[in-house]
Amino acid sequence: MAVDATGTATGGGAAAAVPPPGTGGRRRQVPWLGLLFLAPALILLGALVLYPIVFSIVRSLFDAGGETFVGLGNYGRMFTDHDTLIALRNNVIWVVVAPTIATALGLIFAVLTERIRWATAFKALIFMPMAVSFLATGVIFRLVYDQDPAKGVANAVVVSVHDLFNKSSEYPGAFPRDKKALPAHDGGYETAKPVAAGTPAMLPLVGFPPAQLPDSATQAKAAEPSSGLSGTVWLDFKPGGGGTSGVIDPGEKGMPGVVVQAVRDGSVVATATTADDGTFHFDSLSGGAYTLLLPQSNFAEPFNGVLWLGPTLVTPAIIASYIWIYAGFAMVLIAAGLASIPRDTLEAARVDGATEWQVFRRVTMPLLSPVLVVVFVTLVINVLKIFDLVYIMAPGSVQAEANVLALQMWLVSFGGGNDFGFGSAIGVFLFLLVIPAMAFNIRRFVGER
Amino acid sequence: MAGVELSHVGKVYHDGTRAVSDLNLHISDGEFLVLVGPSGCGKTTALRMIAGLEEISEGTITIGDRVVNHVPSRDRDVAMVFQSYALYPHLTIRDNIGFGLQLRKMDKKEIQRRVQEAAHILGLSDHLDRKPRNLSGGQRQRVAMGRAIVREPQVFLMDEPLSNLDAKLRVQMRAEVARLQRDLGTTTIYVTHDQTEAMTLGDRVAVMKQGVLQQVAEPQTLYDHPNNIFVAGFIGSPAMNLVMGTFGAIDAEPDTDRVPLRLGSHELLVPRKVFEERPALARYENRPVVVGIRPEDLSDATLVEPGPGEVFRASADLVEAMGSDVVVHLQGDADHVDTDDTRELARDSGRELDVDHEKTIVVARFSPRTTAAEGQTLEVRVDTERLQFFDPETGLAVWDDTENHVGGT
Repeated sequence: MAVDATGTATGGGAAAAVPPPGTGGRRRQVPWLGLLFLAPALILLGALVLYPIVFSIVRSLFDAGGETFVGLGNYGRMFTDHDTLIALRNNVIWVVVAPTIATALGLIFAVLTERIRWATAFKALIFMPMAVSFLATGVIFRLVYDQDPAKGVANAVVVSVHDLFNKSSEYPGAFPRDKKALPAHDGGYETAKPVAAGTPAMLPLVGFPPAQLPDSATQAKAAEPSSGLSGTVWLDFKPGGGGTSGVIDPGEKGMPGVVVQAVRDGSVVATATTADDGTFHFDSLSGGAYTLLLPQSNFAEPFNGVLWLGPTLVTPAIIASYIWIYAGFAMVLIAAGLASIPRDTLEAARVDGATEWQVFRRVTMPLLSPVLVVVFVTLVINVLKIFDLVYIMAPGSVQAEANVLALQMWLVSFGGGNDFGFGSAIGVFLFLLVIPAMAFNIRRFVGER
Repeated sequence: MAGVELSHVGKVYHDGTRAVSDLNLHISDGEFLVLVGPSGCGKTTALRMIAGLEEISEGTITIGDRVVNHVPSRDRDVAMVFQSYALYPHLTIRDNIGFGLQLRKMDKKEIQRRVQEAAHILGLSDHLDRKPRNLSGGQRQRVAMGRAIVREPQVFLMDEPLSNLDAKLRVQMRAEVARLQRDLGTTTIYVTHDQTEAMTLGDRVAVMKQGVLQQVAEPQTLYDHPNNIFVAGFIGSPAMNLVMGTFGAIDAEPDTDRVPLRLGSHELLVPRKVFEERPALARYENRPVVVGIRPEDLSDATLVEPGPGEVFRASADLVEAMGSDVVVHLQGDADHVDTDDTRELARDSGRELDVDHEKTIVVARFSPRTTAAEGQTLEVRVDTERLQFFDPETGLAVWDDTENHVGGT
């Protein structure tokens, strides 16, 4: 703009075709007068915008210390360095996903709130996150995504929904007293030796707090010898100490509700559940050569929710928090665009025979598309330079997986890398990426004028 | 095509504002009905209820033989022309006109044929591939018409379609609308606040005021036999003069066969024939009555031979030569008529702030041969046989006691 202005000002003076001798001549004598008036703006722009850009470009052609000229070496490194490539990949994901979803949500909110009475209250609510800084948002969402369902609301929701459909196991973490007699098998435990009908099997377990046994649990006892296969599963731990391991002592309780499977030749032939005193019976099974299996379902660890800020989900999780902020921004702009569509035109379409959906698809959307494009492009620019959210939200262990270019630029220059040449190269690269979007938006604004 | 029937239709908005009350109208198949009235009289609301853009609070609307109260707009088979034209700015003229047909999944060739035909009728054939923003106001108006006629609907609904055009174009388009409707024969309901459009276009004209129907009649009937002060003052341009008058004793001068009528300091003699036409007028003996005088019933007395009691003298306040006639504003001293109707009329014509009660201006339309000039005192002849009389209390025209047009169809 400034360059443009000087061009017209000086050029206009010089090119005035046949200037009247008085004014034109005088103007030609003092071309520096125009420059004088432009000087404050030129100096400020030059010092604050132009010089840093040029300096960054030059700096990007030198090595870490700034002494050796490396040409485009830093740029080459950008596309070979593993961490930077991941940052680049993440940036692509960000640019494609975040503006699209934010714009789409904004559109949905704007269209839906157009017809309700408390639209203003709803819009204010959706727009409010815009007032929250990225730093605060990052802190809030670290809590939201906390692994512990007791702290993180995301996992609290996931765990409650999961437990609603999928009961957690009865005795998580319990394991056999004697790992030789009852070795691990597929997450559960299977007797090492075959058991035979008529001899009750003793299956002592430990590693489970007695206080957490079901209230219905009673003193364990050995199963009555009978013709069928039978046995006892109990917690082989005497509160207050004492007792003999592998033997039912007074005070040791049975473990009710444990699923026991009888296996013969590798396939399950019968299933039983322990009673309150820990006994189980397979009355129909006789003979020997069975093994008893306590399947995994008895001992599975409780579902602890999703590892939101783990290596796989960290980028989507951060993008979601970004959308939380910017959906409101999109909504407000789109709602303003919607309000500027003449009601008559929509009504004309209705009388012409359009259903509400057709009115939306064939009239509202085309008339709204300029606004949608502006919102989208603005968000793209915004997303390209995303830094703080990622920096704050991604735990150190997964920072590399969540990395984006702006963060990588900071990391290699100030965050320990100390390589200002490479950092400048990334900065210049980001600048190049933003230019098309900026040019598009500027052209649009100029065109509107 | 079909007729439209409005039966006890009313509209109350959510905030309790009443826009239309107890509207009864029967529009026959192929008829051109004009709804006219000052702004805010509910005529557009009534039209929008027929179109299905406004919910019907009371009564029923029937198109053809189908009650459409709960039929969505798209299924009513009506076409509407909006005041703003409401064209689709992102579509070409071709697609604007064909939009309704495309929505009905009509065969592409048939759409093409119909659009071409409509464009031909409206003189838009050369502009089909342009966008609305590249057209002039008159052309846009034609596109809006084209969009309506191409669908061959049962009813055309037009909401002040000409009011955004300049005066000359409006006259031209008015003729086009009339010709188009005559050729197509489609039932048309046309809303306007311009009484000239109403008079020239309508087979019948319905006058509304504050949501209430005042009179429905053929244009000439409306002009000659207005039901009440409002219709009398609204229809006609320049508007009818309304002044307070007082009849003398009916039998005062039996030999002249005329009854004296005092208008301020002037006295006219009204022929007994008028009392035969309006039997109820006898009850106004020695009582005030609202007298309506059409401007064209006043003439320069020097150009005609006035009969007895037909002349009064007044000074010319303003003389406007129109070419075909001369409009003279005369200063009289008869009392103003101050009723709801006249206040509403004043509001409509923007004279609300006129609180000058000293002067009563009477507008006359003289023949161009008159020599009247501003400031002169003129002899004005009144066609006393054509005077209109209204009750000052009710505002109703005084005919006989049984006749009452109000709310009629």
